[in-house]
Amino acid sequence: MTRRAVLAGLLAVLVAGCGSQAASVAPPSIVVRTAPLATSLVTTQGAWAIAVMGGSASSDNNFWQLFVRPAGASRWSLVTPPAVADNGGLVAADGTGGTSLLVGFRPTQGLAFSPLAMSSDTGKNWTPGLLDAALADVPDALAVGASGRVLALLHDGSIEMAPTPATAAAGQWSRLTTLGALAASAPGRSCGLVALNAVSFGHNDIPMAAGSCLRRGVAGVFAESGGTWQAAGPALPAGFGGDQVQVLGLATPVLANTRGGDVALLLAGRDLLAAWWDGTRWTVSAPVPVAGGITGSGFGSGGSLWVLLGGGQAETIAGAGAPWRALPPAPAGTVTLAPGAGGGYDALAVSGSVLTVWRLASADWAKVQVIHVPIVYGSSS
Amino acid sequence: VPGMNSGLNPADPTLVAAFRSALLHQGAIALIIVAFLWLLWATARTWRSGAGNGSGPAVRGWWPGRPGNGSGNGSEPAGRRLLRTGFGLIWILDGLLQAQPKMAGGLASQVIEPSAVTSPAWVQHLVNWGGTVWSYHPITAGAASVWIQVGIGGWLIIAAHGPWSRLAGLASVAWGLVVWVFGESFGGIFAPGLSWLTGAPGAVLLYAVAGALIALPESAWRSPRLGRLLLGGIGLFFIGMAVLQAWPGRGYWQGTIGGKPGTLAGMVQNMSSTPQPHVVSSLLADFGSFAASNGFAVNLVVVIVLAGMGAIFLSGRPALVRYAVWFGIVFGLADWVLVQDLGFLGGLGTDPNSMIPMMLLFSAGYLALTPAPLEAPAAQAEPSAPAEADWRQRLRPKALGGTFATASARSVGAVAALAVILVGAAPMAAAAANRTADPILALAIAGNSAALDVPAPGFQLTDQEGQPVSLASLRGKVVLMTFLDPVCTTDCPIIGAEFKEAGVLLGSADKDVELVAVVANPTYRAVEFTQAFDREEGLSTVPNWLYLTGSLGQLSQVWRQYGITVENLPAGSMSAHNDLAVVIDRSGHIREEVGADPGPGTASTQSSFSVLLSQYARQALASPVSS
Repeated sequence: MTRRAVLAGLLAVLVAGCGSQAASVAPPSIVVRTAPLATSLVTTQGAWAIAVMGGSASSDNNFWQLFVRPAGASRWSLVTPPAVADNGGLVAADGTGGTSLLVGFRPTQGLAFSPLAMSSDTGKNWTPGLLDAALADVPDALAVGASGRVLALLHDGSIEMAPTPATAAAGQWSRLTTLGALAASAPGRSCGLVALNAVSFGHNDIPMAAGSCLRRGVAGVFAESGGTWQAAGPALPAGFGGDQVQVLGLATPVLANTRGGDVALLLAGRDLLAAWWDGTRWTVSAPVPVAGGITGSGFGSGGSLWVLLGGGQAETIAGAGAPWRALPPAPAGTVTLAPGAGGGYDALAVSGSVLTVWRLASADWAKVQVIHVPIVYGSSS
Repeated sequence: VPGMNSGLNPADPTLVAAFRSALLHQGAIALIIVAFLWLLWATARTWRSGAGNGSGPAVRGWWPGRPGNGSGNGSEPAGRRLLRTGFGLIWILDGLLQAQPKMAGGLASQVIEPSAVTSPAWVQHLVNWGGTVWSYHPITAGAASVWIQVGIGGWLIIAAHGPWSRLAGLASVAWGLVVWVFGESFGGIFAPGLSWLTGAPGAVLLYAVAGALIALPESAWRSPRLGRLLLGGIGLFFIGMAVLQAWPGRGYWQGTIGGKPGTLAGMVQNMSSTPQPHVVSSLLADFGSFAASNGFAVNLVVVIVLAGMGAIFLSGRPALVRYAVWFGIVFGLADWVLVQDLGFLGGLGTDPNSMIPMMLLFSAGYLALTPAPLEAPAAQAEPSAPAEADWRQRLRPKALGGTFATASARSVGAVAALAVILVGAAPMAAAAANRTADPILALAIAGNSAALDVPAPGFQLTDQEGQPVSLASLRGKVVLMTFLDPVCTTDCPIIGAEFKEAGVLLGSADKDVELVAVVANPTYRAVEFTQAFDREEGLSTVPNWLYLTGSLGQLSQVWRQYGITVENLPAGSMSAHNDLAVVIDRSGHIREEVGADPGPGTASTQSSFSVLLSQYARQALASPVSS
């Protein structure tokens, strides 16, 4: 081989190398967004709200609190389940038929699993339970079906299921699927599933899961049936075909006479969307631009939902086909909203260990209650 | 609050008393060694003079301080003498500062960790290793630091000439680098905010530089070349520091940033708020306010001074250098007081910071630049022996005795200083090789245990497998027993780990010891929770581990009998209980009752508790079994 041939070969290799480098495309990526734990939900027992209070998280002086406004009542009460430090966060789900509330403690510090607590008397008494794994850091990490089955989304993206609340309390859970398995399934691959953000029970009491997809324009909602997961929509309007879609919340509000079907809160690009499944088709709302991030969200009765955005912006939507309604700017310190009677809302504002309840009266917020929460500072450091 | 972390208090009386005791103990040993050497030397001299000084060929020069040993002769060059005595005194001052009562318990957490916190991860990792060694054996390490530094200081001051003097310089280099890396996190040179004003490149690095200069042959000091090199190096350093000080975006040009004090003003104002004499704190506060109001002007002056002095030092012109040295001393003193807070004020100070060492260095550079004329060699009192026979003769006992007897007081003092260093270094070396922590940490956190001999209240509970367990069924074994909340987020997992490690430390004796925990949560007390706790803490496979629970009535009775208060706190707090461990001997008698509060739960405190528990278990195993 002549020197010229060697040089030509080297040049060819170099050119090929440059060519391949130029042709390479960065793999698609996504910054997974999830909803904050601050939320509220409505059951037949009443409205429940979760908010973090106290001092800084870095000094472990932040404690998550659970409040209830019993059905028919106008005042809120502190009903945080006792006996477990809840600095890691609380997750709640309405229990069987909405007659009870299941609460999960997210692990923190030296605790690696998630104790549970269940109440059927508006938080007066709690029955302990066990999930021997870490719950995910999302508000819809727990779900209880109409038949009593319980779903738990774990921190590692796995989904566990217990056949009844009693077995859940006894720590008898079984693995339903994992993020890896779901991502590798046909519907997971078609959306490029990278994270699971919510679990729920669907319209026919089937387990559902939702997450974040790499593939643009596809919403990752999945339904399990007979051991197989299937894509469950929704299909988004064509205008969102270029946006990555992440499901922030998924619920099936189970309320007597107000069954609203499956409801999902989605983030498509920089817009929030709500979507409703009525058993035959999805209805998708108009978008709401997200400017300053989401600080809270929750589902109400009849398929309604609310979101609290940066700067105190509060948006609600009553259900499928309804328009978004901007509430007056939430009072300073508002961490969560809770649906009230007649389409009204309460805003729960926090300052240290003081919770102030504001109620939307006509066009403005009125202070209706102040609760001093007896936080034991330093008790978790 | 019972059942919660309490932290390790550096001023804890147990730690302080142990530190003081170690210092006194080692001080007494050092004194005895010094006195013994002195006595031996005096005796040898007396014997030698009585024997008519006829010990054969001269072997002088082997000991330090003697002329004719190849290290130069005549009086010591002024620059070297300044460095040697100056840094000797500083080492002694540092040693005395290391003897502060809170140093043993506080150095790792209050000096080492804060100095590393803004450094890159690899620096933190390295420093953490050193801090861990200290935190495992704080008393030994604290006392060692005192004696090593006092010894180096004394050695430098006493040994004026010769190889022992140069060795003292090397000792200063070695220990200085250890302190610079582990105590000062490389002087913060890898951290943001580096400034000559606040101590860059780390005071102790300057000790090491001075030590290296002292370790040079004395002949090097007799030429102006060394002075030029030293001043040139310092000049380059000053210019580099001037550039760094002038670099935009580091916050030194601004007196205030966004309404808050700028970098320098902020540092000074923080310093002024630490406990110290009022005069100094008010001076600092005033200067902090001045720097906040005139940030640009203050930094401009600093940049100009550093650049100017650097240029003059680089020029090596004695006439200019002389003025720069005097100016540098005045400027350095001002910085030492107004910015560095004298180095050791404000917090747990370990040294006078960088200004005094820096002044000594450039002053020594100036003196080396203008060396005094060489004195005439001192007349050899005795002829030297032939070189080839020298080492053999030196090693003969008689020759050694003669050498020792003819050694100067400085020589004996240097050996005594080395002995003082060894008094501290030897126990430290032994402790560093020990992978378990000193139980003094556990005693400091939990308080001294109460030695008892009372029957342990019986109980009938259920273990994590659902099997019944009574105290009577454990008779014949030593029982280490504590109370743990299975859903606890802080102390209980740590205590569980300590018990597990105590079992490992017991080795083969572990088979005669039962590690027992009783549930301390009125709500989460089912067997499922004890099993989950065991899995979480890796206790499921520990054969002699029992995690007992029962009905609320059964548990309440056990809690009451053992003095445990358990209650559910409101608003998201964990269930609170007091941390307690008891040691029950093979006859069913409580022999020790020790607070099990794990404190900060660091690796060292956990290890310390494990060591303490295993020691108590061994003591209980050694006690006779009564019927």
